[in-house]
Amino acid sequence: MAEHTVAAFDEDLGQISRLISDMGDLAGSMVGGATKALLNSDNALAQRVVSDDAIMDARQRELDDRAITLIAKRQPMADDLRHVVGSIRMAGDLERIGDLAKNIAKRVGTVGLSATPRDLSHSIDAMAQLVLIQVQGVIEEYAARDAEALAKLRAADERIDVKYTSVFRELLTYMMEDPRNITACTHLLFCAKNLERIGDHVTNIAENAYYVLTGTQLPANRPKQDETAMSAPAA
Amino acid sequence: MSQMLSPDMTIAGEAAAKAKIEVKNLNFYYGQSKALKDITLSLPERSVTAFIGPSGCGKSTLLRVFNRIYELYPKQTAEGQVLLDGQNVLDRSQDLNLLRTKIGMVFQKPTPFPMSIYENIAFGVRLYEKISKAEMDGRVEQALKRAALWTEVKDKLNASGLSLSGGQQQRLCIARTVAVKPEVILLDEPASALDPLSTAKIEELIDELQADYTIVIVTHNMQQAARVSKQTAFMYLGELVEFDRTEKIFTSPREKRTQDYITGRFG
Repeated sequence: MAEHTVAAFDEDLGQISRLISDMGDLAGSMVGGATKALLNSDNALAQRVVSDDAIMDARQRELDDRAITLIAKRQPMADDLRHVVGSIRMAGDLERIGDLAKNIAKRVGTVGLSATPRDLSHSIDAMAQLVLIQVQGVIEEYAARDAEALAKLRAADERIDVKYTSVFRELLTYMMEDPRNITACTHLLFCAKNLERIGDHVTNIAENAYYVLTGTQLPANRPKQDETAMSAPAA
Repeated sequence: MSQMLSPDMTIAGEAAAKAKIEVKNLNFYYGQSKALKDITLSLPERSVTAFIGPSGCGKSTLLRVFNRIYELYPKQTAEGQVLLDGQNVLDRSQDLNLLRTKIGMVFQKPTPFPMSIYENIAFGVRLYEKISKAEMDGRVEQALKRAALWTEVKDKLNASGLSLSGGQQQRLCIARTVAVKPEVILLDEPASALDPLSTAKIEELIDELQADYTIVIVTHNMQQAARVSKQTAFMYLGELVEFDRTEKIFTSPREKRTQDYITGRFG
């Protein structure tokens, strides 16, 4: 992309890109940290994730300020306009990912006190790995300006939805097997739901990033495989 | 690269508007120098079309071809066709006075005549029509109302047009244009010498006038083009680079040269 005649314009846009990149890195670190803390009952790591959320919020506010100032000062057009507006929206999704990771981290203490079935950790772990790959991938592909990879990444959210459905059913089974599991499993259910929501925010980011790069919208309908809202598994 | 594009054809769900002006393979020369290169485009009726591009790209030249005002100057020639409702205005047989009543023009600098506000408007009407004093009073009032100037000047119609502010003078020029009942209004940088409030009034006026007139505006202010027009043409070095719906041009233009120009990456 050629440089602007006004060099400070490039600098302003560059700062917004850097903030998105920083927020993406932080989101990946928070999601990874929260699930690791959950699986290892690591309260110190959970606490770090909780405090990272304040940094995430501050980054989003800084990005909003810079984007609004840039619009007022430079009246961006075409790809510049898409970049600025898209960044505001992506920052909103990244901030929500931070909130959801924080929510997982805050449950670590309660889940850790219960006797959690070990098998369960594996399903959540597998789901978390999928989510983490998506969070890290979306920021990498956006930085690489690879629109096709973003479209594929958005479609890959389907695997998270499938995994969530299976974790949901598994947790219900554990609760039915032994009512002492109910407290931990309910928290884990929220954690799984949070991971599933993080996946949805990643697809939003991929859609915005695709629009920023190409100027066209991805088709509105994306296959949804989360069946938990449709029907509960048979008792 | 000139293309026969009718942007309304591309607006989903909307019927194609009738073309008021069709430009076909237009070339224009200042002496030996070619200023317009094979321009072909179609301007829909009762709609605002903006022309943008860097200085010297040919956008004002194109405007000056529409009403053949370029013929006032020596060694300027046009080739090709400019069809107004299907009639080629470049035909030798074209009655220029009649053409210029159909196609009015407003320039960058307000150009009121050194006469009263009333006479500024009546003067043009008298050239083409013989009407009574009462009818003329009605025409003057109607034109001033159409140009959103009536309430500001109705008590001083005998004051000199030159006594008005820049923004008022420009609206007086628009009133003068409207008074002779044109079909097309050409605006060449109509607000570039005005303060923001006067500019807003002109833009509001353009928005109202498009219900009755086909409007073509040349502007260096891209935000203004984005605000007031329905379709936008980007010109560069005498070529029509891209012509499309305004929202498309300013959010995701097809051509890299358009993108570079509107985002400030030229040069």
